Amino acid sequence: MNSNVWVLTFADGISIATTLILASLGAILTERSGVINLGIEGMLLMGAVTAFLVGDGTHNIWLALFLAVLVGMAMATVHAVLTITLRSNQIVSGLALVIFGTGLSQFIGKSVEGKPRPVRIEPIDFGALSDIPIIGPVVFNHDPITYLTWFGALIASWYLFRTRPGLVLRATGDAPATVDAQGVSVAAVRYAHTIAGGALVGLAGGWFMLARGTAWSQAATTNGIGWIALALVVFAAWRPLRAIAGAVLFGFLLQVPYTLQGQQIRIFPPEILQMLPYLATLAVLVVLSTPRARRLLGAPTMLGQPFVRDER
Amino acid sequence: MIIGRTRIELEPRLNSPKWLVVAVPLASVFLALSVGGIFLILNGHSPLHTYSKLLSSGYTTFYGITDTLGLATPLICTGLAAAFAFRMNLFNIGEEGQMYLGMIGGAWAGIALADHLPKLVAVPVVLAIGALTGGLWVLVPAVLRAKLGTSEIVSTLLLNYVALNLVNYFIFGSRGFFRDPSTSFPQGRAVSANARLGNFGTTNTYPTLIIAALLAILLWWFIRNSNYGYETSVYADSPNTARYAGMNATRLTISVLLVSGALAGLGGAMYVVGPAGKVDPGILQIGLGYAGIVVASLARYNFVAVVITAILFAGLRVGGAALQISSNPVPIAIAVVLQGSVLLFALGGEIFRRNRIRIRRIQPVVFSTGADA
Repeated sequence: MNSNVWVLTFADGISIATTLILASLGAILTERSGVINLGIEGMLLMGAVTAFLVGDGTHNIWLALFLAVLVGMAMATVHAVLTITLRSNQIVSGLALVIFGTGLSQFIGKSVEGKPRPVRIEPIDFGALSDIPIIGPVVFNHDPITYLTWFGALIASWYLFRTRPGLVLRATGDAPATVDAQGVSVAAVRYAHTIAGGALVGLAGGWFMLARGTAWSQAATTNGIGWIALALVVFAAWRPLRAIAGAVLFGFLLQVPYTLQGQQIRIFPPEILQMLPYLATLAVLVVLSTPRARRLLGAPTMLGQPFVRDER
Repeated sequence: MIIGRTRIELEPRLNSPKWLVVAVPLASVFLALSVGGIFLILNGHSPLHTYSKLLSSGYTTFYGITDTLGLATPLICTGLAAAFAFRMNLFNIGEEGQMYLGMIGGAWAGIALADHLPKLVAVPVVLAIGALTGGLWVLVPAVLRAKLGTSEIVSTLLLNYVALNLVNYFIFGSRGFFRDPSTSFPQGRAVSANARLGNFGTTNTYPTLIIAALLAILLWWFIRNSNYGYETSVYADSPNTARYAGMNATRLTISVLLVSGALAGLGGAMYVVGPAGKVDPGILQIGLGYAGIVVASLARYNFVAVVITAILFAGLRVGGAALQISSNPVPIAIAVVLQGSVLLFALGGEIFRRNRIRIRRIQPVVFSTGADA
């Protein structure tokens, strides 16, 4: 085993991190407004199958990603109507979306189950830059969406902490009554950010299929990445820039089992290695739950609470 | 909410009328079938033909009904597991993994212990050990939730993936205790005959169905009549009230989650005692744990309603399997699509059950000024 393998694993981890960053950015926007959407896993699957089917039919990557985004937005809209307007339980609504998305992606993807990926999002050609040791594969070997995602996290951070709408968004999650008293519609803010979050999650699913997936297989495509993204939101303390760091770490953990298998290193059986990312996520959640960490995190105060003006 | 000149208001009801309790679920099912119908048409299937075949194979023929009851048995357990935790606002969504662990624990007892025990003792021992391992699987999330406030939603869910890989490891990844040593084909080692219950006649229904149904009634009675049940009900309504009344929140949280995990584990053990007789990776494909969450939510966490809902849901799945046998097979996933949509519509329908909708016209406000007079 040489050190080069670990550089490549790290580079792969950064690549997988794109999905995690996009999905957790979506979740951060949604949760900052006070809405928790547990449906991410189902939305990722729907985004993935949409991108696959559109890519299979048209061989147009951008159209495939665009429709994946629309599907993510549509599912987020369902969640928004149920939880914001109809005040349903946000937890159960999110779970219903997971079940619905799992079933529907399997249903509409049945005809292409096992079929290889029709189109691939290619890495940008940086020429000689990609050949620089370590930095080359880690920094200069990704596709446009990956770079846009890093940039998107910067924009999201600026939006949240440096703009007025971002301030209103944070206030909506922490003190909706105050926002309401200021004459801003709590429902409008929540709708906008839940749906925008859905767009990012849809893109995450579509990108994952066309950049990382090899073939469509409902059972193996996302493999719980949506749930890891949700845990990542806590890890990132609802801050977009920290989500990048967390996503790279989790992306690396997700990639390690494959690297070890590829290198014929059999210290642990592959099934045991596959448990690693989930156990590591759990361990991180535990550390973050200690009272000291909790004070520093600052979750949106009214997360998961419907806002009703009349009930006092 | 104001649209144009009409204002839509929600007025909470004190009691929901009886007809709505029936009408809302019926409307949800109808709307879900319509949504499923759209996707069926888009995929080139006739919705009416598909649904009539789905319903008739799941609910009308003798073997259809007995298959449904057989599949409903572990589903009742996972449904009870979800209902028991959800009614206390503890969202254990790890029933899937807890059920796998129950299967593993039950199979261990069936292989290691059952040969040395009389049949009358062996089956209860297998079921008890399955429940125990299912409960232990949720121990870490339960303690974390009670002591540190770690979200049980994410922690229980993550453990589902660990449990899934554990089953795969026992059957495909290793040649250990749970793997059948007599063949190179990867399959589970059969448990002792003492640990199995016979099926009814030639059907796929097992006596465990009766145990599951009795358990539901027992839980229903227990929550209503025991001090513990009272405490969980108070805590569910208002954790603060419970705390002021001196109830031990930590103890309640941990115990409710453990019982929930044990119920799901029992479902896995019933799968061993009944149809499987071994650690069977086939259970990974059916998603009975996730379906249990849907069942519990639709039953609005009422234990007796869980039994009925589970049977209806199992019929959907049995009917879905029957759709495969056709020249133009409809993917079985249609059953899952229907489950998800029924739940989404039922959630939306709750607001109509809980509130009266008032639509009022808003009169334009006319200010009179002195000049007009």
